[in-house]
Amino acid sequence: MAMQSGTALQEKVSRMLSKNQKKPLLKPNKPLVLKDEVANRKMNKGEATCVTEMSMMMACWKQNNFVDALCSNEMQSFYKCVEKAQIAKKGKSEQHTIGQGGRLAPKQVNTLLKRHPTLQTEI
Amino acid sequence: MAAPITGLLKPWTPRLFLVRWSRYNPYYLEPEPRKELYNMPETELTTEQKEERELKAVRPIKATTNSTTSSVFNDPVLSKFVNMMMRDGEKILARGILTQTLESLKRKQVEKYHKAPQGKKAEIECNPYAIFHQALENCMPVIGLASIQKGGKFYQVPVPLTDNRRRFLAMKWMITECRDNKNRRTLMYEKLSQELLAAYSKEGNVIKRKHELHKMAESNRAYAHYRWW
Repeated sequence: MAMQSGTALQEKVSRMLSKNQKKPLLKPNKPLVLKDEVANRKMNKGEATCVTEMSMMMACWKQNNFVDALCSNEMQSFYKCVEKAQIAKKGKSEQHTIGQGGRLAPKQVNTLLKRHPTLQTEI
Repeated sequence: MAAPITGLLKPWTPRLFLVRWSRYNPYYLEPEPRKELYNMPETELTTEQKEERELKAVRPIKATTNSTTSSVFNDPVLSKFVNMMMRDGEKILARGILTQTLESLKRKQVEKYHKAPQGKKAEIECNPYAIFHQALENCMPVIGLASIQKGGKFYQVPVPLTDNRRRFLAMKWMITECRDNKNRRTLMYEKLSQELLAAYSKEGNVIKRKHELHKMAESNRAYAHYRWW
């Protein structure tokens, strides 16, 4: 099945390259070979954490003219929120490296591809 | 990080010039200079600590730096401050300045103590280490600014800081303030002790700088959503 789909792809590519029938659709300046690595990308763009705590603390500062002693409660809650966010981030990154919802993480794919690179010479 | 190369570990032989490298095989463990952990009896150890001890019997351990001691006077915050003050590797000079600072702090506080009326004597803090730590805590900023690019422009976004970063900023501000903005003829320990006492009572230029950072963060609070972490 893989070989059949491979040859079909090769035929399509050679048709796109050929000058016999129509204008060639591809004019590659480098040989059409895949790289031995995958781009590192993160699908979910994160969002700002602890914004509510920060805004409460800043409101308190505005009221009390930036004296820290009067805003200690808000500051404590902000620190706690920051700690929780850091722990959550660490846990999430750990979970990322373990499993990616059916796919491998880019780092793992790269290690695998490095072990089995595209053959440069004929064996 | 390179994977641990256990097969290539050479047996340790003493060298001619004893040097502690900063790049070790990740197989090496960190040294533990605190005495209390070694005096604990077997029963009080948790499973993790027992595992650590068994590991230490097998694995090699990194050499400590020259400035770590197991004495009661070893303070990591003070060591970090000394390292930040140090120039051209002159640790002796930097440490001497710090001891002179602590001495002058003690002298000033004891003078105040003896001059104070009976009711106020209990409030005056004479321990220079306590004054140092409290002053540094008063100087630590709560929130910092990060330069984030969005739509071609750079915005100063308020961002929470880690504890290490806050401590570093407090120490850096203290040292630069004492180096630049003071009279040229006064010695560094004198300038430091004045600034530390001012920070202890929440006055002075370093506290002002911290408040200015807070004010900037507060004025830019609309951009807080540009953060993605």
